[in-house]
Amino acid sequence: MAKSKLRKTFLEPLGKNNPVFVQILGICSTLAVTNKLQNTMVMVLGVMFTTALSSWTISLLRNHIPSRIRMMVETMVIATFVIIVDIVLKAFYPEMWKQLGPYVGLIITNCIIMGRIEAFALQNKPFLSLVDGLASGLGYAYVLLAIAFFRELLGTGSLWGYQILGSWWTNWSIMIMPPGGFFVLAIFIWVIRETIMKEEKA
Amino acid sequence: MIKQATFYKKRIYPLLFMFLVTVICILITSGLFLSTQERATANELSFTRRAILDAGGLEYTPTTEGIEKTYKEKVQVEDGGTYYTAETAEGKRYILPMQGPGLWGTIAIMVGLEEDLTTFSGLAIVSQNETPGLGGRIEEPWFTQQFQGKKSPFTLVNEGTADAPNEVDAITGATRTSEYFRNLTNRASTDAKRIIRGE
Repeated sequence: MAKSKLRKTFLEPLGKNNPVFVQILGICSTLAVTNKLQNTMVMVLGVMFTTALSSWTISLLRNHIPSRIRMMVETMVIATFVIIVDIVLKAFYPEMWKQLGPYVGLIITNCIIMGRIEAFALQNKPFLSLVDGLASGLGYAYVLLAIAFFRELLGTGSLWGYQILGSWWTNWSIMIMPPGGFFVLAIFIWVIRETIMKEEKA
Repeated sequence: MIKQATFYKKRIYPLLFMFLVTVICILITSGLFLSTQERATANELSFTRRAILDAGGLEYTPTTEGIEKTYKEKVQVEDGGTYYTAETAEGKRYILPMQGPGLWGTIAIMVGLEEDLTTFSGLAIVSQNETPGLGGRIEEPWFTQQFQGKKSPFTLVNEGTADAPNEVDAITGATRTSEYFRNLTNRASTDAKRIIRGE
């Protein structure tokens, strides 16, 4: 019983309860950072770290937090973890921090984090909340990486900064500009819902 | 009695709880900040020095130690940091920190000039906030390195077609950023003449 719940907690955010293409959360960052794989990778790692640990922390405190001020406490905990990510990047990966400075702060506003705390961590045990946070982060991560893959490839002809397509390729600049994010995300959601999700329902 | 208990539960406890959480969070973050501050400052310094070396067109080993070694050997700070000079085999170089508007935010650069204060010896981006993948490409080596040996004022030409000594490649899809960047670099020579020679 316990094991199956753990399994379900881990698998649901990856598929039929995915934060991005089912719950449509975290769209702001999905559109903003997916024009290059490198940016996206750092963003998703930051989000995974923050969702997992803030869900765990809130779950530990869940019986002590007065419900009227729970959102303040949640925001405080989330912000703390995000600042930790920022400080660590700045000290140990200064090159990456230079490139991503503004994006790291944006992790705080990712609604997946608060969404998982409100929907899950406040009612469940710490370990299970940690798994849920991590899995939601993973579910977010692979969708963003998939989108970034197509945007970077079509928009610049390269992947991870390395040139893949030859000089015959004409860059689709629109792909790395904000509208490109909308197009690819919408197509992605459409394809997933029309194929995989439809089969599951039937 | 009951009233007092609810008063505590409704008013005092949440306040105390929030206070406690805030204190703990601040202790963690400021502790971490202070313990890494030295490293962060060192990184920042090394980054600026690297930009100065790049702008001056100086050769160095790309490690923190390598940058520090070459910087200390070759570069002199002039006028309390308004500009820098470096002696090279090809003559004296003047390196000037500059900043100006970009499309989204301020672009800060280091410009290296030859003795005539017109020919660029190099250029390095210190900070920028342009669109990643478009205007952000001003950070890419092909873009910054093309200024080496070019004479200002510059005119922009289509990406990949710069030929004459006063032509520089613009970035396709980032016309505005390219224009702002051209304006900034075109100011370098006059700024340098004013600051260094008082003209």
